[in-house]
Amino acid sequence: MRTYVTRRLLQGALVLWLVSLLIFSLVRILPGDAVIMQLDQAAAPTPEVLARARQELGLDRSFLDQYRTWIAGAVRGDLGRSLITRRPVTQELLKRINLTAHLAVMSLTIALLIALPVGVFSAVRQDTTGDYVGRLLAILGLSIPDFWLATVVITFLAIWFRWIPPVGFAPLWVDPARCLSQLTIPAVIIGVRLAAVSMRMTRSSLLEVLRQDYIRTARAKGAREGAVIVRHAVKNACIPVVTIIGQQFSVLLGGTVIVEFIFLQPGVGSLMLDAVLLRDYTLIQGAVLFFATVIVVINLLVDVSYAWFDPRLRYR
Amino acid sequence: MKTALLSLATVVFSLVFWSSWALAQEKPGDAPFAYAAPAFIKELDTRYPAQPPVPPSPPRYGGVLHFPAVVRAFDPMVGYRPELALVWDTLTEWEATWYFPEVQRTPMIRKTLATSWEMVNPSTWIFKLRQGVKFHNRPPVNGREMTAEDVKYSYELLKDKAQYSTRAALVKTITVVDRYTVKFELSMADPKFYLNVVDSLSPVIVPREAVEAPGGLAENPIGTGAFVLKEFSPGEGALLVKNPDYYLKDKDGRPLPYVDAVRLYFTKDAATESALFRSKQLDVMRVSTLDQLYALMRTVPDLMLYRVPSFGWGDYGMSMAIDKAPFKDLRVRQALSMAINRDIVSEVINKGDAALYGPFPWALAGFTKRADYSYANLGPNYQYNPKEAKQLLAAAGYPNGFEMELEWAEFQGWDFNAFVQLIARFYGDIGVRVKLRQLETSTWLSKAAGVQPFNQMLAALSPIGAGPSFMDWVYLRYHGSFPKTMNREGISDPKLDDLLTSWRTDPGDKRPQLQRATWDHLRKNVYRITTIVPPHYRITQSYAYAGANPYCWFPGYCSYEAKTAWLTDKAPGRKFDKFAQ
Repeated sequence: MRTYVTRRLLQGALVLWLVSLLIFSLVRILPGDAVIMQLDQAAAPTPEVLARARQELGLDRSFLDQYRTWIAGAVRGDLGRSLITRRPVTQELLKRINLTAHLAVMSLTIALLIALPVGVFSAVRQDTTGDYVGRLLAILGLSIPDFWLATVVITFLAIWFRWIPPVGFAPLWVDPARCLSQLTIPAVIIGVRLAAVSMRMTRSSLLEVLRQDYIRTARAKGAREGAVIVRHAVKNACIPVVTIIGQQFSVLLGGTVIVEFIFLQPGVGSLMLDAVLLRDYTLIQGAVLFFATVIVVINLLVDVSYAWFDPRLRYR
Repeated sequence: MKTALLSLATVVFSLVFWSSWALAQEKPGDAPFAYAAPAFIKELDTRYPAQPPVPPSPPRYGGVLHFPAVVRAFDPMVGYRPELALVWDTLTEWEATWYFPEVQRTPMIRKTLATSWEMVNPSTWIFKLRQGVKFHNRPPVNGREMTAEDVKYSYELLKDKAQYSTRAALVKTITVVDRYTVKFELSMADPKFYLNVVDSLSPVIVPREAVEAPGGLAENPIGTGAFVLKEFSPGEGALLVKNPDYYLKDKDGRPLPYVDAVRLYFTKDAATESALFRSKQLDVMRVSTLDQLYALMRTVPDLMLYRVPSFGWGDYGMSMAIDKAPFKDLRVRQALSMAINRDIVSEVINKGDAALYGPFPWALAGFTKRADYSYANLGPNYQYNPKEAKQLLAAAGYPNGFEMELEWAEFQGWDFNAFVQLIARFYGDIGVRVKLRQLETSTWLSKAAGVQPFNQMLAALSPIGAGPSFMDWVYLRYHGSFPKTMNREGISDPKLDDLLTSWRTDPGDKRPQLQRATWDHLRKNVYRITTIVPPHYRITQSYAYAGANPYCWFPGYCSYEAKTAWLTDKAPGRKFDKFAQ
């Protein structure tokens, strides 16, 4: 196991280096730069003035020189300063990650609270009315775009109740009431969609497990049906579900841009989008590197967790 | 299975029914909205005159004003945003903004940090500074007095920055005459230089200690403005609290500002802004379209509307590559302009609520009444005449038209998609086959800023000025000696250059005639195709008076609005210890 984890960590480091090189190159291919994007429409600077502004930001240096400086800082944990706000990238990222992590955890919790019971119920009561209703709900959850749902919800909350979730993020441990009132509705909107995917996966995976010999054996030994389902079937059916959840969590940490925009909850997704639109190279690079790290780590954790769910699996 | 299908049908039917009902709630009425628009516009004309009633007096002190804004960095070193004027002052401010043609004849300037000025000669100006003005009482500046040294330092620091250079590059040297007097030596004579130090893109006055402290102005946002930046949360908003030492008083001698704090929300979506307004989390907001205004007036019937004709900002136009065929031929440019029915553009873009727009703002050509904004004053090139357009194309050697590419992009608050589709249709009618090419917004901005070339035609806002100055809107945008970052199309016309140079060197007497002559020359030569400009809509809650000056229209664009805004006792109670509250 230790060898496996070490090997995966080394592979992860290689992936991160390649990602850093790729993103550093790609952002510089985009037309325009941070100097242009910061200009007010009424400004009319000469090319010389623009060149000087680029020089101040270090954008006139060679590609290799810029990369060397940035990657050396990144290795030390210093991702540089945003070209737009001139604040440290790590500081910019941390606040947004905090919000996104709150939203991701809440959304995922809501998704699991819906998906697991409904998925298990659908599988256990296959082809009954309850199963059809559960599957229909799942299809509906997949079919309704979250940007549409978010726009409808925020508009009608404002019209009917003269209330919308408050703006201005407060972490759960600082102001729980504000945090919950701010994030619950966006989390439900995101969670419903995620629940649909997880529910379908739970159902199909459990159906497959329920047909296995060891389940028949457990029943033949006289185990109660509840114990068979919970202790033997669900745990084994969880491997694909955990994979899906891991992927969903990575995606959620990458941000849910549209919901963030609509509810004015600026998480990492809107930070990234703004950074791309404004050509804030250091911020894009820092954020992408961060996400790549998160995805590498989550994938590793998901792979390692398989061994817990299914002790037959062994890593070499 | 049957039950399941029935359930599905029920759910789908419910959703469709609910959506239809919801839409009906948003836009009620027996007829589609488009047909109701003319009556609605007429109603707006009568119920909401452009110059709104003067707010009651005396104003009430206290409260927290909320409005939307777009600020990416609260740092004048990084980029200019009008909202920065809440924290940092310029030497003077506009007393009346430039949206009203009536005030164009005599620009009205409020003396903020400068109390008087004197032209020694057109290249040398002396400014007297207000005494006793203090910077915000925060370390490392700790409320010390602003002096002439600060003005010199700020101009030298900022005058070559991209966002200020248009105005301040003219300043060659600044000399401190005494503690409260500075002398500007200009690189080019300018008998109207005092208009160059007014707010909007002019250098703000910053203290050296804050600039040189760790983190610079981004982490030490200290100025002399009416508000002190308490918290800035990028992407989310900002909280600014009243500066207790602010020096300006209102016309009755009361200290400004009236409100205790201002909270800015950095919104990016029209639906979100509307929802925030409806839920009374915003007190003042701009509305982009007549549709949005109608929906808001329907659900917040007691709102107050301020509908201001645009001076020229936010028009729908197109730049052409006039150095290439076929656009270098005047007849082709005239034909392309005549092919457009501007009334239909106005109808499609904003349900008919828009003004015609020419080569530059009407007021700068001496048209000071709104009735003057007419086809008659624009001339034949701006009137819809597809028959004449076809004849012109044939005369130019294109009897069967030609193919061209029109580049465009989505831009928040503007409907360029509808605009370019319409233009392609009009041009198709005269045989010009248009290939639409959508750009990513940042690329489009680069092209609109003249940094990157566009291929043939670019749908974009006309280059604008920061104030009501002919220098900003016309001289810099049309003179052949300037690069494309200023003169986007690269217009090079000796006669036009002569007119502009004459204007530049005239002490003032002949300027109105020269400005009109420039207008006439430009409308004949159609170097840029312009169509319409929608008005600005500002709405406020019934409990908010956003400014006592009827000429200022939005706090973000006119800092005096925020300084003089006040809230009645019906306003929601709000705390201002921190942004998220």
